[in-house]
Amino acid sequence: MADGNESDRLQEETTFQRLLRRPEIGSFTVMVVIIIALAIASEGKSFNALGLKNNVAIIAQYGIIATGAAVLMISGEFDLSIGSMIGFAGMSMAMMLKWGLPFGMGEASPFAAFIITLAMTLALGWLIGTVVVRSGLSSFIVTLAFLFFLRGVTEVSFRLINKSTQISGLPDYKETSWFANILGGDVFGWFYDIWFMLGGNLNRRGEQWVEGFDARFLWWIVIAGVAYFILSRTQIGNWIYATGDNKEAARANGVPVNRVKIGLFMFTAFCATMFAACQVFDTNTSDAAKGNLMELFAIAIAVVGGTLMTGGFGSVIGVVFGAITVGLVANAVFFIPAIDGAWFRVFLGAILLAAVFANERIRKRITGGI
Amino acid sequence: MAEPYLRVEGLVKRFGPFTALGGVDLEVYPGEVHCLLGDNGAGKSTLIKTLAGVHEPTEGTIYIEGKPVSFRSPRDASDAGIGTVYQDLAINQLLSVTRNFFMGRELKGPLGTLRMDEMNKIAHDEMLKIGIDFSDPTQAVGTMSGGQRQTLAIARAIYFGAKVLILDEPTSALGQKQQMGVLKTIKKVRARGDIAIIFITHNEIHSRLVGDRFTFLALGQTIGAGTNAEIGDEEMRRLMSGGAEMGDLKEELAAI
Repeated sequence: MADGNESDRLQEETTFQRLLRRPEIGSFTVMVVIIIALAIASEGKSFNALGLKNNVAIIAQYGIIATGAAVLMISGEFDLSIGSMIGFAGMSMAMMLKWGLPFGMGEASPFAAFIITLAMTLALGWLIGTVVVRSGLSSFIVTLAFLFFLRGVTEVSFRLINKSTQISGLPDYKETSWFANILGGDVFGWFYDIWFMLGGNLNRRGEQWVEGFDARFLWWIVIAGVAYFILSRTQIGNWIYATGDNKEAARANGVPVNRVKIGLFMFTAFCATMFAACQVFDTNTSDAAKGNLMELFAIAIAVVGGTLMTGGFGSVIGVVFGAITVGLVANAVFFIPAIDGAWFRVFLGAILLAAVFANERIRKRITGGI
Repeated sequence: MAEPYLRVEGLVKRFGPFTALGGVDLEVYPGEVHCLLGDNGAGKSTLIKTLAGVHEPTEGTIYIEGKPVSFRSPRDASDAGIGTVYQDLAINQLLSVTRNFFMGRELKGPLGTLRMDEMNKIAHDEMLKIGIDFSDPTQAVGTMSGGQRQTLAIARAIYFGAKVLILDEPTSALGQKQQMGVLKTIKKVRARGDIAIIFITHNEIHSRLVGDRFTFLALGQTIGAGTNAEIGDEEMRRLMSGGAEMGDLKEELAAI
């Protein structure tokens, strides 16, 4: 059997070697380095009770939209409308809360405002996906159009109805609505309770300092967890990878390529809506510039996390590491006042470039150098 | 001789004014390799695409086990047991062997979860049956050789119920050794006895090595057919070059 065992030319590997070859290893290493460097440079302040909460808040924000962007990229498409979708969803919710439901249907509860907004953003995601698959145009250009379109609609709606491009001073719905509370309130209070019982988490007066993490931390865990499960363990996950790798091959084997893509454009719209909902119910404000540039951060984090620009390959775990890395560096300026905040972008640019090269090497290794 | 599994009678396919197939007959028996030979533009591709349900015939009938059928889509053809392995193989390089094997037809548990262990085992066993012992079906297809990829695509078609296996020039893009590997695979599938193989090739030696029956096409017509024993080497070369006499060609060349 001369041709029987060409697979034997692949070396046997130990578990440790396998671990080192995992696509997440790059983003994991960078994350560990950043955590250690930040802890030292901020003299521990970035990971004290409040520092941890604030860091996790921004990490979770990035994580939510980067998960959507990464899964869509694995299927071979981009979404540049994520940032504008965040602005649109935030505007829609805040406006209904302040001015009531459309067509004079009375006051909006937080739940109603959220559901109506979600219905609109999912419909927009469906529309974007349908335009992309039906026209065969690059998703880059179609979603760029929606980036401008949605941002414009957001601003115009604000001025027409609200006479100002921001809403602030909404009542604190977290006090009265369980629904607002699970989006904008605190979660994992037990973590800080235990920390307090162990003698930490104290403010200057010796009382418990921080009560819990922002709710978006929970939503990030849920979204990333579900995305991980779907990608690695389900039929739909196999379809997503197959669609992004070679669309025609997937189609020839009966994968509903168009439905997969449209569904994932709706998923990024969902992630953007969750981002906006957590923000609106946390701060009880909204303005027309919310979510600006977030689509680019989402894509950058997806790439730093090991997602291939060309589709067909990527991992949610890597994106988690990427979100932690980028979130920590974005926040670093608050803990190390001596540094200029613009270094964040210098850093992001540098690791993005490094990640693209690293990902390309991984792709070549998998495809045998083609 | 048993009844042919697939029979084609007077198949005509016109694209507007252009006649791609002008009345082709074909009989394919289980346990036999039927070589479809012909020069470029002879109509081989149109014929297999018609059999695979990509095109609908303009005239003529396709019979499966004696019953006339009409395919409106590739799905219809594959449900009727016609498995086509195209040159590009419909394979995804970045995905694992198993994920490619079951692409679009995954085995699902409750909640749509993949039965991965079972799928790994089936992929491994099915490929072993026709000649490749692939120790790790979780490795990416990108690491496999061209011949192994052919085997994967063939094993997949058989596992999902192909009774007629159409192989579209499976040896054309491979090196010598891998070509032999594919021929061995064809022989192994033939030895099962229940699958009819249509083997499209340009290569006279390959068709001699594995073929039971030949059909020669030229300009959309059947210009010759017969069993391996019936057709001599001279005749074969004449038919493969579209019916022109080799002697004439020699003279033409000499005259230049």
